[in-house]
Amino acid sequence: MNKILPFAFLGAAGMIFPYSVQLIFLQTPIEQQMGTVQKIFYFHVPLAWIMMLLAVVCGVAAGIQLRRDSKRAEAISIAAAELVLVTGLGVLITGPIWGHATWGKPWTWDARQVSTGLLWLVFAAYVLVRHYGAAGSERLAAGLAIFGAIDVPVIYYAVKIWKTTHPSTDVAGSLPSSMWAALWPALIALLLTSLALLMIRVRQEMTDVALDEAWIGLEHDAASPNLAAATGDA
Amino acid sequence: MRDATLTLSGARRGPRATTNLGMVALRQAWLLAVNDLRQEARDLELVLTASFFTLVVLIMLGMSFSALGVSAQPLAVPGMLWLSVAFVGALTLSRIFNREREFDTLRAMLVAPVERVSIYLAKAFVTLVILLGCCCITVPGLALLFPAAQPFAERPLETVALVVMGCTAYAGVGTLFAAGLASSSGKNVLLSVILYPLTMPSLLFALVATRSLLEGHASFTTYLGQLTATNVLAFVVGAWLFEPVLVGVPQQRSARRASRRRR
Repeated sequence: MNKILPFAFLGAAGMIFPYSVQLIFLQTPIEQQMGTVQKIFYFHVPLAWIMMLLAVVCGVAAGIQLRRDSKRAEAISIAAAELVLVTGLGVLITGPIWGHATWGKPWTWDARQVSTGLLWLVFAAYVLVRHYGAAGSERLAAGLAIFGAIDVPVIYYAVKIWKTTHPSTDVAGSLPSSMWAALWPALIALLLTSLALLMIRVRQEMTDVALDEAWIGLEHDAASPNLAAATGDA
Repeated sequence: MRDATLTLSGARRGPRATTNLGMVALRQAWLLAVNDLRQEARDLELVLTASFFTLVVLIMLGMSFSALGVSAQPLAVPGMLWLSVAFVGALTLSRIFNREREFDTLRAMLVAPVERVSIYLAKAFVTLVILLGCCCITVPGLALLFPAAQPFAERPLETVALVVMGCTAYAGVGTLFAAGLASSSGKNVLLSVILYPLTMPSLLFALVATRSLLEGHASFTTYLGQLTATNVLAFVVGAWLFEPVLVGVPQQRSARRASRRRR
């Protein structure tokens, strides 16, 4: 079941996504002030929500990893961090395109932009530490992931605490139903894709751990007869 | 040091220690910090290298931005101050666990009857002291080099509060990860990779607060309050994560179990 589920998610996302694109570009009315460029909202917002969700998942998994030394939690943490990088890149590319058309500048250094950029940097640091860190650096990376997860509420509340060019969090509630109708399929398609990739990457990491353990066991078994022979000779 | 060790051991075993663990941890942290500062005072390695580096950074900033117009200076000076703190902080943090790394005494420190949070607080305090020492060069230097930085001299109390708060968050976050790298025999290059993204929020708050100080805005206290909140968060999370990041909780639990069995 675990093997089939990610591919089922990918299949479902593959069916929903074209329908979502058709809804966004052909059936949803064009926004009066921003024009066609507003269509990027249907990709930017779901990607931002998924990025924040994955950052929280990564932080919680890292906390469990630190508390219980759980290999599964560690694998989830790694997979989620890598997906934060991917979805974050999507947010940081689509955001400035939308910003350029709306505000006349792709990057205004407002609090939400800066905190999102910081989140991406923290998870980029996480991935670098995981790849290049010495033995024991997995705990260090977990600490980093927890700090990254703390940034998520900062991103969410940034528009309430500081003066920003971003729309406030209340905007989502005031969207017309036609926009919600187009937003949901895009969100579901992207969420299913992210979940599928997360599950596949977790499986890869778990296989990697199992292979490492098997390799160590093999080396240990190979060394044991030699050790026994050496002690026997002595 | 002998006295300190005896006090530390006694504090751990005594009945009062369990009821007043916070004060004991603070006292242990103070003793460890004094010990570190005493060792630093003997050879001044970290103080002199960090001070020299600060001076070089200040001269480079002066040379690069001497032609900057007075109207642009209030925007540039905060960046100069906190960038130099960020650079000197990375240098300090890469060396703060050097003694433990060179003589392999971090393990000895971890098995000593000392609260692990005390080690964290002591190291963070030493880092803070060195950073503040470097700011004693940077802040007057900037005030001398750039006319727009005169409010540093005109409003000394606000300047001191700003510098202390800005450096505290940096020391709080940085010490946690410097310790993690020291214990994992990791590469020091990773310290900068971790340090800058994590300390950026506090440095940004410090930057905005400095700008409002230089421009004489009333919002200075608001920004200082936000910086203080960041400090509290950095220290609470840093102290909470120090032990799991440094030794790992399951290892620590099994060590406790083994110690109970021995008893």
